[in-house]
Amino acid sequence: MAIFSCKKETPEQAVAKLPVEEENADGNFPYKWLSTYSFFEGELNKLYQNSELLEYSPASSLFTDYAFKSRFVSIPKDSIAEIIDGEINFPEGTIFIKNFYYPEDFRKPEDKKRNIETRLLILGSTGWEAYPYIWNEAQTDAQLKVVGGQTKVKFTNLDGKEQVIDYLIPNKNQCKSCHNKNEQMVPIGAQIKHLNWEKTEGASPQNQLLVWQEKGKLIGFDNPQKYPSLINYEDKNQTLNLRARAYLDINCAHCHNAEGPASTSGLFLDYEETDPLKLGLNKTPVAAGKGAGKFTYDILPGKPDESILLHRMKSTEVGVAMPEIGRTTVHEEGIQLIRDWILSLK
Amino acid sequence: MRKIAFPPALLVFFLLLIGCSDSNHEQLFDSSKLPKKSIEEVEHIIEAFIMAEDSSVIEIPEGFYELNTQLILDNKSNVTIKGAGMMKTVLSFRGLKTGGEGVKIVGNNIKIEDLTIEDAPGDGIKAQHTDGIVFRKINVTWTNGDKSKNGTYGIYPVQCKNVVIDDCVASHSKDAGIYVGQSENIIVKNSLAFGNVAGIEIENSDNAEVFNNVARNNSGGILVFNLPGLPKSDGKGTKIYNNQILENNHKNFATPIGEGPNGNTVTMIPPGSGIVLLAAKDVEVFGNKILRNKTAGIAIASYQITGFPTDAPNWSPYTSNIYVHDNEYDRSKGFPDLTRELGQLVSLYNAHGKAKTQDIIYDGFWDQNLSKTIENNPMKICIDEAKMSELFFTLFDLSGGKEEVKSSKNYQPFTNCTVSVATDISVIQSL
Repeated sequence: MAIFSCKKETPEQAVAKLPVEEENADGNFPYKWLSTYSFFEGELNKLYQNSELLEYSPASSLFTDYAFKSRFVSIPKDSIAEIIDGEINFPEGTIFIKNFYYPEDFRKPEDKKRNIETRLLILGSTGWEAYPYIWNEAQTDAQLKVVGGQTKVKFTNLDGKEQVIDYLIPNKNQCKSCHNKNEQMVPIGAQIKHLNWEKTEGASPQNQLLVWQEKGKLIGFDNPQKYPSLINYEDKNQTLNLRARAYLDINCAHCHNAEGPASTSGLFLDYEETDPLKLGLNKTPVAAGKGAGKFTYDILPGKPDESILLHRMKSTEVGVAMPEIGRTTVHEEGIQLIRDWILSLK
Repeated sequence: MRKIAFPPALLVFFLLLIGCSDSNHEQLFDSSKLPKKSIEEVEHIIEAFIMAEDSSVIEIPEGFYELNTQLILDNKSNVTIKGAGMMKTVLSFRGLKTGGEGVKIVGNNIKIEDLTIEDAPGDGIKAQHTDGIVFRKINVTWTNGDKSKNGTYGIYPVQCKNVVIDDCVASHSKDAGIYVGQSENIIVKNSLAFGNVAGIEIENSDNAEVFNNVARNNSGGILVFNLPGLPKSDGKGTKIYNNQILENNHKNFATPIGEGPNGNTVTMIPPGSGIVLLAAKDVEVFGNKILRNKTAGIAIASYQITGFPTDAPNWSPYTSNIYVHDNEYDRSKGFPDLTRELGQLVSLYNAHGKAKTQDIIYDGFWDQNLSKTIENNPMKICIDEAKMSELFFTLFDLSGGKEEVKSSKNYQPFTNCTVSVATDISVIQSL
C-alpha cells in the first residue's frame, strides 16, 4: 500500500528511493551516478582517491558555509597539462572533482562526516561543463541533479556549539555565475597563483605544482619563483594586506574582475589589481541597489562599518549578500579580517 | 459669490489625500488567482533553461510557478522563451534563496515574451553580454505591500548590443523599473513604468531611442545618466520622444523613508522629476507630454551636483549637446519635493518664487576650459519651445556653494540654437 507523504522529500530521500541501476562507464559524460566514474576506491563516501587522481588545494579557500572540501583532478592517461603564457592548459578529458562535506564535530574532523555534494568540471571538445552531484542520505552514492537542491546540515562547531545551515546546492547553470571568464566556463581554484604554494603535510613541504610535474602530469613549471603565489589568508604570520587581498581574490575576484560577470560594476578585487578606485576605495556603486544600504562608497578607508563591501559581506539577505551565491551564512572570520584591513587603509 | 470656507477636518483630509498619492501600490492583476504549478512542473522549467538547445523555444504554460532557484539561460543562440501571456504565466521568485536575479540570460538573438516575473529579491530579469535581446510583453513587479522589501532592477539588460524592450510593464522597483546599462543600439517602446523610483533609465549607453512609453507615478520618470569608473566609460546618443511622463511624484523609497541618499545616484532623485539628464551627452527630448511632475519637468544636470568625485578616465561629468523641443508641459500639481537636496534647491532657490514647480531647470555647471561664461552656451543646451515665455525655466548658479545659490529666469542663451543628435535603430527596428 502506497502511503503518500505530504512533506516535500529531501534530495537525499529522492535519490535513495531510486533503484540502484548498473550504469555503463562508456565515456559519455555526464554519468548519472558519481560511482560510475570510479574516482574513488573502497567505500565511496570515504573518498579515497584512486592512484590516477591528483589531490590539490588552493592556498586560500572560498568560504562555503563552513563546509570542508576535498579536491582532486583527473588528467587522462597519456595526457599532460602544460603551462603556456603563465596559464595551465589542461588536456581534453580533464575532470576536476570538488567534494563538499561536514564533519559531525569540527573538533574531530577525521571522525564521522557527511558528504553533501560533489561538483565536477569536465573539459570536453567544446569547453568546460559543470555537473552537480548530490549525495544520498545513506552516503552510498551521489546522483547528478541539474536543478540543484537544498538540505539541512547540522554540525558541532569549533566552539562546541551546534550549528544548523540551510545548505544550497547550485543548479547546473548557476555554476557559471562564478566560473566565468568572458562567458567561457573556467576553473577557479586550479590556477597557478592559487596552487603555487608548499603543502606541509607529511614529511617535507612540497609545492603542489612540482608534485604534479614529478608525477608526469604537468610540464612547463620551470621555476615557482617566476609565478604569482597567493598566501593562505588564515595564516596570521602574513601581513594584513596580503591576507585581505588573498581573501578577496578567492571569494570575490572570480566575478569582480575585468573579464568576469561583475565587470559591469567597475569594482575589481583580484589580487593583481593596483588601482585604488577599481579596488573600491572611495568608489560609489553602480547597480548595487539595496545592497548599498545606507552607505556611499564601496570602501571608505578607515571606516569598515560605513563601507558597502563589508555591509554586503555581513548580510544574508538575498539581493544584498555578497557573494551572490555560494553562502547562506556569514563568515565571521572573513568579516573580521576585512574589517581590520579597511580600518588600516588611508 | 458665496465664499467657501474649508472646515479644518476637510482640509486635513485634503492634505492626506495629496500625501497618499505619493505611494503607488497598483497591480496589473491578481496573480494569486492563477493555478499553482507542482514542484515537478517547476523543476521541468528549470531543467528546460539548463538543457536548452540553440534555435529552440522554451514554452512556459499558464500558471503560477514558485521558484526557489534561478532560471539561467547560458550562452545560447536563437532561443525564444514564451509564456502563455503576461497575466497567465507568472514566475515568482519570492522564495529565491540565493542569486542576484530571478532570470539571467546570456546569448545571441534571444527573445523572451508573454510572462510576468514577480518578487525577485534582487533584479527581476537580467541579460548580460548578449547580442540581440528582445523583451516583449514582459511584466516585472513586486507584490510586497511594504515596498522597502522590493528588489532592484525590473528589466535589466547590461553590457548588451541590439536591445529591444517593447510592450513591457515594470513596477515597484526600488531602483529602475526598466534599466539599460553599458549597452548599444537600444529601443525602449510602447512600455509602461509606474511605482518605481526611476521609471526608465538609460545609463552609459550609446544609440538609444525611448518612445511611445508611459512613465507615471515614479519618483523620476525617464533618466539618462553616465556614471564614472565603469568598463563602458561614457555614453551618448539618446532620443526621448512621444512619451507620456506623468505625475512622477512617488516617494523615493530607494532608501528607507526618513533616511537620506546613499552612494546610488538614484537615491538622490527628488520625487516630482519628469526627465533627469545627468552627465548625459547628445540627447534629444521632443514630442513628450511632461505633465504634473511636481518638482521639475526636465532637469538638466551635471555630475558635480551629486557631490561625488568627478575625476575618472574617458568620461565627462558635464551634460552637453541637448536639444529640447516641441514638448507639452503642465506644472499645475503639487509643490517641489523637500526630501532631497535637488528638490530643496528647486523649492527654495528657483527663479520664480519659493515652492514653485519648474518646467525646465539647468544646474549651470559648464566646462570652463571651453568658455569663461555660460552665456556662450558652451555645453550646447538648446531649448526650442514655442511657449517658452509661459514656461518656468531656472538656470542655477552653484559656483558659490550651498551658501550662495543664485538663479536666473533667463533662457535666452539656450534658445535659437539646434543640436543634431544622431541615432540609428534601423538594425533592430524589425526585431
